[in-house]
Amino acid sequence: MKQFMKLNMAIVVCSIIVFGSAYAQKNPKLTDPEIASVAVTANQVDVNYAKIALTRSKNSDVLKFAQTMSDDHTAVINQAVALVTKLKVTPKDNAVSRKLLSDAEKTKKQLIAKPAKAFDKAYIDNEVAYHKAVISTVEGLLIPQAQNAELKKLLQDVVPTLKAHLAHAEMLQKKIEKK
Amino acid sequence: MINNFKLGGIIFIYLFLLFFINGCTTPEENAINKGPEVYTVEIKNMKFQPEELTVKKGDTVIWVNHDIVTHCVTEELTKAWTSGKIAAGGSWKMAVENSYNYFCAIHEVMKGKIIVQ
Ligand SMILES: [Cu+2]
Repeated sequence: MKQFMKLNMAIVVCSIIVFGSAYAQKNPKLTDPEIASVAVTANQVDVNYAKIALTRSKNSDVLKFAQTMSDDHTAVINQAVALVTKLKVTPKDNAVSRKLLSDAEKTKKQLIAKPAKAFDKAYIDNEVAYHKAVISTVEGLLIPQAQNAELKKLLQDVVPTLKAHLAHAEMLQKKIEKK
Repeated sequence: MINNFKLGGIIFIYLFLLFFINGCTTPEENAINKGPEVYTVEIKNMKFQPEELTVKKGDTVIWVNHDIVTHCVTEELTKAWTSGKIAAGGSWKMAVENSYNYFCAIHEVMKGKIIVQ
């Protein structure tokens, strides 16, 4: 009986460790400097995708959209940099920002390798998926964990912009599919 | 005592003037003599607020960009007119002669409407 109790205890402890770490991975704890780094990185990644589209696309709708992505995400970066400078916070890279960068590196290679005919669809499909992912990260992770009120407010202010970008990308997605 | 009298007089004159001036510009009279009016549409959180605005012919509409990104105001059907870029914190105005559906040509999902009564 004692043996059995020990085994039970071991199972409980093991499952706490396993599920606990899985949970932690899903919801990493981020400090404000880390949140600032994720925010800047997420925006920079989309500026970089736009740069590829601006050199590769021939479609005027796609070119206009890419220019808007470059301009808007640069404006958000400038706003974030101005805030962290004011708050004397230095953005600190972390697991989330590193994952964003390594995923972006793969996507960039795929976009560059796409044949010209397939490029617009690949770029816009990725914009839809990427904006969805960023919206869920900002709403589900960055806003709830941000400690500084101004940082939280900046993140909240960015959400409508991301959602308008998503709607715009989805509109282009339908337009491209019809062709 | 004299001071109190003086004060009372000043207050009386002030109240009299207030009443008199107000009397000259009652809202009803305003409505009769008024020239073109000025309306403001706030561009905020990627929306035109209000999205739909009813004005009289010749009234002026000012769009104010409160967002951190650049927007514009462009006639939707034929792009008959456009504000050009309205930078963050900037504004643009137009005297309105006709009803229009308009949109932001930079963020095509942002739409608004002006109705001339
Ligand atoms: Cu806009």
